[in-house]
Amino acid sequence: MSRRTSRIVTNGLGILASLFFVFPVYWMVNTAFKSADQFQTYTPVFIPIPTLDNFIKALGEQNLAQLVRNSVFVTVSTVLLSLVVGFLAAVTLARVRFRGRASFLLLVAVAQMAPFEALLIPIFLAIRNGLPGPFGVLPIGYNQVPTLILIYFIFTLPFTIWSLRGFVAGIPVDLEEAALVDGASRFQAFMKVTLPLLAPGLVATSIFCFITAWNEYLYAYTFMADPTNYTLPVWLVSFRSNFGTDWGATMAASTLFTLPVLIFFLIVQRRMVGGLTQGAVRG
Amino acid sequence: MTRAQRKAKTPKGASALSVAPSRYHTRKTAVRDALPYVALAPAFLTFVLLLGYPVLLLFLTSLQQFGLYELFNNITTWIGVDNYYNLIFNSPAGLPDFATVLFRTVVFMAVNVALTIGLGTLVALLLAKLDRWVRLTLTSAMVLAWAMPVVTGAVLFQWLFDSKLGVVNWAISSLGIFGDYLNHSWFATGLTTFAVITLLIVWQAIPFVALSLYAGILSIPKELPEAARVDGASERQIFSNITLPALRPLLMMLIFLSVIWDFKVYTQIAAMNQGGPDGQTITLSLYTQILGPSDGQFGVAAAAAVIMMLLLLVVLVPYIRRMVKSQEEQ
Repeated sequence: MSRRTSRIVTNGLGILASLFFVFPVYWMVNTAFKSADQFQTYTPVFIPIPTLDNFIKALGEQNLAQLVRNSVFVTVSTVLLSLVVGFLAAVTLARVRFRGRASFLLLVAVAQMAPFEALLIPIFLAIRNGLPGPFGVLPIGYNQVPTLILIYFIFTLPFTIWSLRGFVAGIPVDLEEAALVDGASRFQAFMKVTLPLLAPGLVATSIFCFITAWNEYLYAYTFMADPTNYTLPVWLVSFRSNFGTDWGATMAASTLFTLPVLIFFLIVQRRMVGGLTQGAVRG
Repeated sequence: MTRAQRKAKTPKGASALSVAPSRYHTRKTAVRDALPYVALAPAFLTFVLLLGYPVLLLFLTSLQQFGLYELFNNITTWIGVDNYYNLIFNSPAGLPDFATVLFRTVVFMAVNVALTIGLGTLVALLLAKLDRWVRLTLTSAMVLAWAMPVVTGAVLFQWLFDSKLGVVNWAISSLGIFGDYLNHSWFATGLTTFAVITLLIVWQAIPFVALSLYAGILSIPKELPEAARVDGASERQIFSNITLPALRPLLMMLIFLSVIWDFKVYTQIAAMNQGGPDGQTITLSLYTQILGPSDGQFGVAAAAAVIMMLLLLVVLVPYIRRMVKSQEEQ
């Protein structure tokens, strides 16, 4: 086989593989824009005459505003909580030598791999009736939306610490020390030198937390009883059964649910690589 | 900076050099020494209370008679290993027996891992050979699949494989090789339901594996395969003697991760067909969820979860050991 034909074959394979990955996504968006008579046919329509009917129908779903609010509330709270607690731990682990540092790192690594699918039962039993003692006043328990924040917080905290620690360690201490020599206080040096360099790391890490909390299904499905307390993933799966064969509306809902994740994911893709390499060059 | 360097920078005698170590100074040092522990306290407490305690509670629950009666009346009855015995020898009513579920979970995991790693490696090798624009196209396409929320993926694949209007049945029928697939129901048997779930999982898992391995291939010095080629080595020899050994550590990590993820899959299976038809796609994760929160047999469910966790430990321990080691080397 000549060089030229082998190049054509490899590139052809590359195109085929691309189609394999893209087609389902294309089919979701494609169906979302179809009118009922275009998706209810045996011979599929590949390029539809677009209509927004399905989106209007999906958005007109009862309680949707409430569900979006639930999901956004749970997700944003998880990200903030995880970031604050994780940041404190990450900076300490990256910048301070203290007794027990290695053991704590091990603890984080173990926590990161904790099989939450297996811990559903004890977590369910432990917080079904709320938290013990003075924490009992918190709205945590079966069928209470804030419960999910607590659960997703522990899901995301280990990764947050692990990832932020890496980003902080990637910023040379020398930069901070140079600022100290120039007369800045430790706090100023950290705020003015390290924190701006850390921004890509903070963005990337919070996006990971966002995606985890936004997509989670098992715990949301187990803990939330009232349909008004569902998060969007639980709604999406039940929406399928509620709407029966209305695939247009289902795909429109799926598209809307996917959109924020996709946008954030694309940002991380660039920033992760950019942030890491930039640090190396500037340092 | 190494530990030794840091020690050299702040000699132990520093405080002795200062003229008069006042009480103020010692208090300041004490505060400074305590600071790292204060900063770590919230994270540490979270791990202990929200993770350590549930693990302990899981073991304790698995040794108790724990049904809805005990739950509502707050009764604790210790029954030793009866839950484990019942789980293994008397299958719970309305559910497949434990041995079947365990066997099914392991086979399902093995098939998914093999497909993900095998195809992921092939795609990574392909990426290295492609022209720039095709590589960009393939990378973007993979990122799309990778980014898709699992729940959306499950709903979407139900639509693709829908018996009447699904595009897959239409495509297979149009090919004409396999006969008429119109109205073929993929979700009527356990095996074909698993096939669709596996396709979904592999479709979403290949991008991570392929892009990681591709980054690994890029980090191999170009001179090595070039020199081998000059010496007359075939592409296959280059792969098995240069590329594969260089990628081995990365490949091991990816296999560990895939085993862990595919062993405890819940969402794809539950959202696709709720473990159906007739419980034929119930795996370990679904089993504990159905037994526990749904049926209220918490003791037996906990026993199943403990077994699941112990099996996972076999892969988790070497994985975590490697991860910590690589982090310390940085």
